[in-house]
Amino acid sequence: MKAPSSALRWIRRLSLREKTPFREAKGDNPRPRAAVIALAVLVIAAGWASPTFAAEPIEYNRDIRPILLENCFACHGADSAARKADLRLDRREAAIESGAVAPGKPDDSELMRRILSTDPEEMMPPPATKKQLTAEQKETLRRWLAAGAEYQPHWSFIAPARPALPQVQNQAWVRNPIDAFILAKLEARGLQPAPEADRRTLARRLSLDLTGLPPDAKDVAAFVDDAAPDAYEKFVDQMMGSAHWGEHRGRYWLDAARYADTHGIHFDNYREIWSYRDWVIGAFNRNLPFDQFTIEQLAGDLLPNRTLEQQIASGFNRCNITTNEGGAISEEYLVLYARDRTETTSQVWMGLTTGCAVCHDHKFDPISQRDFYELAAFFNNTTQNAMDGNIKDTPPAVFVPKPADKERWEAAGVELAVTRQQADERRKAARGEFDQWLAAASADSIAALVPSEGLKLHAKLSEGAGNTVTVAVDGQPRPITLADGIAWKPGHVAAQAFQSQPGAAIEVADAGDFEKDQPFSFGAWVNVPRLDQNGSLFARMDDQHGYPGWDLWLENGRPATHVVHHWPDDALKVASNNAIKAGEWTHVFVSYNGSAKASGVQIFINGVPQPASPQADVLKGSVRTAVPLKVAQRHTGSRLNDVSMQDLRIYGRAFSTLEVQKLAQTTRAVWLASKPADQRTDAEQTELYTWWLNELDKPSQELTAKVAALEQEQAAIKTRGTIAHVMQERGEPAMAYVLFRGEYDKRKDEVQADTPNALPPMPSELPKNRLGLAQWMLRPEHPLTARVMVNRFWQEVFGAGLVRTTGDFGVTGELPSHPELLDWLAVEFRESGWDVKSFFKLLVTSAAYRQSAAMTAEKLEQDPFNRLLSRGPRFRMDAEMVRDYALASSGLLAEKIGGPSVRPYQPEGVWEAVAMIGSNTRDYRADQGESLYRRSLYTFWKRAAPPASMDIFNAPSREVCTVRRERTNTPLQALVTLNDPQFVEAAKHLAQLALEQGGEAPAARLDFVAQRLLARSLRAEETQAVEATLADLLAFYQAHAEDAKQLLSVGESPVDAKLDPATLAAWTMLTNELMNLDEVLNK
Amino acid sequence: MTPFEEYVRYETRRQFFSRGANAVGFAALASLLGTARGGNAQAAEVTHAALTHFAPKAKQVIYLHMVGGPPQMDIYDYKPQMNEWYDKDLPDSIRQGQRLTTMTSGQKRFPIAPSKFKFAQHGKSGMWVTELLPYTAKMVDDMCFIRSMHTEAINHEPAISYMQTGNQVTGRPCLGSWVSYGLGSLNDNLPTFVVLVAKPTNTEQVQAISARLWSSGYLSGEHAGVSFRTGGDPILYINNPPGVPSEIRRRTLDGIRALNEMNYRTVGDPETHTRIQQYELAFRMQSSVPDLTNLAGEPESTHELYGPDVKKAGSFAHTALLARRMIERGVRFVQIYHNNWDTHGNVAGRLPDQCRDVDQPCWGLIQDLKHRGLFDETLVIWGGEFGRTIYSQGGLSHENYGRDHHPRCYTMWMAGGGSRPGTIYGETDDFSYNIVKDPVHIHDFHATVLNLLGFDHERFTFRYQGLDQKLTGVEPARVIKELIA
Repeated sequence: MKAPSSALRWIRRLSLREKTPFREAKGDNPRPRAAVIALAVLVIAAGWASPTFAAEPIEYNRDIRPILLENCFACHGADSAARKADLRLDRREAAIESGAVAPGKPDDSELMRRILSTDPEEMMPPPATKKQLTAEQKETLRRWLAAGAEYQPHWSFIAPARPALPQVQNQAWVRNPIDAFILAKLEARGLQPAPEADRRTLARRLSLDLTGLPPDAKDVAAFVDDAAPDAYEKFVDQMMGSAHWGEHRGRYWLDAARYADTHGIHFDNYREIWSYRDWVIGAFNRNLPFDQFTIEQLAGDLLPNRTLEQQIASGFNRCNITTNEGGAISEEYLVLYARDRTETTSQVWMGLTTGCAVCHDHKFDPISQRDFYELAAFFNNTTQNAMDGNIKDTPPAVFVPKPADKERWEAAGVELAVTRQQADERRKAARGEFDQWLAAASADSIAALVPSEGLKLHAKLSEGAGNTVTVAVDGQPRPITLADGIAWKPGHVAAQAFQSQPGAAIEVADAGDFEKDQPFSFGAWVNVPRLDQNGSLFARMDDQHGYPGWDLWLENGRPATHVVHHWPDDALKVASNNAIKAGEWTHVFVSYNGSAKASGVQIFINGVPQPASPQADVLKGSVRTAVPLKVAQRHTGSRLNDVSMQDLRIYGRAFSTLEVQKLAQTTRAVWLASKPADQRTDAEQTELYTWWLNELDKPSQELTAKVAALEQEQAAIKTRGTIAHVMQERGEPAMAYVLFRGEYDKRKDEVQADTPNALPPMPSELPKNRLGLAQWMLRPEHPLTARVMVNRFWQEVFGAGLVRTTGDFGVTGELPSHPELLDWLAVEFRESGWDVKSFFKLLVTSAAYRQSAAMTAEKLEQDPFNRLLSRGPRFRMDAEMVRDYALASSGLLAEKIGGPSVRPYQPEGVWEAVAMIGSNTRDYRADQGESLYRRSLYTFWKRAAPPASMDIFNAPSREVCTVRRERTNTPLQALVTLNDPQFVEAAKHLAQLALEQGGEAPAARLDFVAQRLLARSLRAEETQAVEATLADLLAFYQAHAEDAKQLLSVGESPVDAKLDPATLAAWTMLTNELMNLDEVLNK
Repeated sequence: MTPFEEYVRYETRRQFFSRGANAVGFAALASLLGTARGGNAQAAEVTHAALTHFAPKAKQVIYLHMVGGPPQMDIYDYKPQMNEWYDKDLPDSIRQGQRLTTMTSGQKRFPIAPSKFKFAQHGKSGMWVTELLPYTAKMVDDMCFIRSMHTEAINHEPAISYMQTGNQVTGRPCLGSWVSYGLGSLNDNLPTFVVLVAKPTNTEQVQAISARLWSSGYLSGEHAGVSFRTGGDPILYINNPPGVPSEIRRRTLDGIRALNEMNYRTVGDPETHTRIQQYELAFRMQSSVPDLTNLAGEPESTHELYGPDVKKAGSFAHTALLARRMIERGVRFVQIYHNNWDTHGNVAGRLPDQCRDVDQPCWGLIQDLKHRGLFDETLVIWGGEFGRTIYSQGGLSHENYGRDHHPRCYTMWMAGGGSRPGTIYGETDDFSYNIVKDPVHIHDFHATVLNLLGFDHERFTFRYQGLDQKLTGVEPARVIKELIA
């Protein structure tokens, strides 16, 4: 049943078409050792000869350490737990002391004796390890011992010094110092550099490296035609001056920073942190020196007089994954977060893989477990909670206004403080005026200030005795006598207050009869003994026949109102989110604007508008009813007993907030003012004074209005802005515990924040916090930071670092291909003032960079991976570039820079398949319009399901720091660029542009497409092949109109109706074909 | 380091499994070289053969992961003594101060909740099985039960990572990736490692399942699981755009190929040839994948084996049948996730749904594999990421109860692929709380699975960050011989 197995894994199927002869033996027979060896021999023959040359002096780092590392250090190295026989060979003194190494005397060295021994009990490495030294390795060791057994610190732990430029024969080729180093190596190998690439190729390469986008055809043409001697430099400057520069550089940085738009663990909810991304883009665009770039990200929050921007930058350390899983133990996650931050910082700036030291001393690098936790202590001092709360703004977070609002936001804050201060001062100063006024004032003159326009019904409910109340209907007094008697209680805006009792209700037949399109307002002072009874304060509502009418409702103490034609399907209901307090006099008021919408209802408590939730919001029919207005109940039910009430009012108009406030305060003030002065308490006196300031004191009113306007302005700015996740240090000094095997609950020693012992010490003047750590990493004696950064910049341009293991400069990392060049670049970068743009200019103006990428058989043999830079860089673009290339070349790309993340096309179900029910990043709904065509670094990044098409092109999940992406070549990638609607739409759009703008002749149109995709014209044989395809495609779509129509339906962008669908469909597929060329997908 | 190893490292930062001329890892090596040399004739000489340490019993794996953690005492770990302990407190002598999740650590009491479900013994092995799994009960003599699994993780995210990758911290390769890395591919047109996420009937307490679970970690990206979707295209972007029939796609692929060949003649980059091959493979997948996922050709008798849900796309039964079709076509490792086993509450209401979802399909899958002669070489694994507590979380009644996470014991089973049939291994105490006999740690379990696949877990390594990384971690792990036929 088995299909014959092929030579290779499915994804990397490649072109190995030979079927394995060993297939049938699979698993039964661990077979061809011989084949492996044979292969190894082949590879060696292919140019990987041993690096040691007999004539050269032995160098520990180059010649000896690799042998010891491979064969000895696992048991006789830095890890104290794994050390055998208490012998360590990684330190010269210890090795000499033990007798293993006798400088100058190989024959007296136990090391040599054991290596040469054939006695299974004695020989090293022991037979069980299956490790064996070659004769050549043994000889190398012997020569080293004989020469004095000199050790060297690991190369990357020695601070770089600027080396002299090497001598080269072909001086003419050297454009800048980079080239001297590159050429020296090439000449040593007998290789010639490749010729310079043509200008079109260089324009495309530069544009991709400096902006991440293909060049504009016009820019290419101008560059090609520019005869000026500095044409190349001018083009470089033009590209670096583009705002796309910051986007492109920033994208690499976001991998290192593990930036994403969700928290990462469990619910994986939205995290609003894109202001950090904008900061990164902006920092590159304004060429923020790399030292400052470092300090602000690691410690922006700790800088004196920190700016908002610097706080945003500290979001670097807030990009880690977090959890809110129920049941999770906080301490465990706090340990994990500190670990992630330690490992990320170590990897990004120092190229150290400190992760090993979480559980034990690093096996190979001089990083002890204690070193690790001392370093972790720097990150163990934050105020952040372990649980992210599943919210988008997990504290500590700060508000970030839109750039356009920034100035006003800051100014408004200052103005607000000043105005409040002025209001306070006025309050202190105006007391005398108030006293004078009060002496002269009468209750009636104050009562005249109560809004009376449109007052339809007014019931004071303050008679204080008997069973009659007098209500004013349209200003006409009308006594109402209740048979059952009335309870009178102490009041709030008069001495006595009506209290509802079981029995008959106060009713007024001709009050409150409104239609839904009439504005009306109503309210009263109320005092509710308890909040657990729901019912009507007053209502005109027929609760026997579908509830037509309206009411003022109390629901667990929350004021609400119904405006109903038929409940619940034809009605409005709005309830305040806040409740009133039991046993406290409260002014409750509702204003309705006649819009028949819930949004037209505003509920006020004590004159303050309340946030409210609409619970019904469809009102079509009439709300009029024949039943009378009743107090403390609806027509027949929903009765509220023991509720005290005063000053019930119904108006035939809507109320503004200011008016409601005035109503609430002034009705109270009338009562207070009418009291004899000696009967007013101090609190009542103050209340009256406050009222006077608000209502009658012009200067106070002006200040209050100004405060309100500023607050409103601030609120408006807030709704437009975003937030930043920031770092915030706790008050105490940074510390951490060494954890046994890294387990959070197995604490050992307490340690203080400090840097690893193997690196230069932290000067005492530096603070022992993240700021000090950042400054320490940037010091000239620090051996790693500058090297690690220039190496990664090199990787961005040349495809691989001079040290290929960009994240591992430790002992097990790779040695640099050009160590002197690396050091030269590191010193140059630092001494330039960490100038990033200058550094990239240096890279891309070198002759090494300008070489043609074409390979020769000789170079493929001698330099298969271009480690020697014997030709120009050529490699498949990263995921974002592949997509951006299609968008840009087709003219679809949106120009906008920065802002919140967007959701372009994505197949259905990618998020749903992995997300938890209830996660707010479960349902993916694509955006529309411009957001479909933004650059890929703005695509919403959900960690549990990274953007699908980019994931396939090796984009990381951003769960952890990534300083080097994989670059595979798989069929799934082919499926993306062939079939993803984003790419099909881009092909359609470019085809359309070609038909509209490329001229009438097919050849001209073809050239239009080729210029945009390849930055060149097609060659004759290519043209021939493409024209043949086009003819076939045209014939097909002319015969299949329905297929043409369907193809052109892909994507949201409109199709030019003037174009013939068959022609456009054929050109779309032709463009789709060209967009999939290897040349397009490669830089 | 030999130049040969250096060569491999240069290309991918990945490392050859074991130093020296150890033959293991040849599969991975060959594929690396494939990319590196772009179909160079030298590499073609090197043939891919899955070179294991010793004769494997299993060639392929179907791993059924029950996300959330099934309550072992309600299913397989029969504890009749608990009936007398109803609503009594879990003795401290049993709990032994073990850490609890914060979901129940605040509980004042830990009242014991005996299983409300009936159990009976089945088969020659006499395995006790809940009444909720009547089909499974019929095949206990084909199965190998481990009632003494244990872990250290107490929450889902770290626990699932641990079960799948041998490490609680994310970012390590999962079992499927290791198998892909070690054994390589058996087919020309399909992925080696496929993931299927089944939809449970009941969705009361569904847990997160992140793509990180099937990531390849530090292994090369090609060893990551390819998630087949149960809705829409089974593989992303597998279908041509509308209005593009296969012959038009073929025509443009011919065009791409011709133009790429011209480009190769100019630039000479071997990667260009690789790309040509990948486009051809993509084209072949476009026809083989729909054929794989189209169940219409299966006879009704096969559908009946898996039960009525098999025709519901995305059901566990449906994915189980898909898994068999994949195994048949040479997919090396199929991982199925079935969710909603996180029974913090309402065990009585939910567990019957959960069991019904998987019971007949598991039985059907094994019968189907047997009928096709695939059972002996296909290892089927069933289990969650931890167990559940004997004490009730929240309210307890005779009718219903909830159970919190419990790391100290849980039950898994294997079948086929050289696992020993009719085995009942390991024992827990009367409370199904502590293991009293034959504990099996996750690392032991992984070591045993690797053994069935022909690998010595100690020597099945990958060099990363200077260490020979292993699925089974740094602590000693052991192969459980009693589980092997």
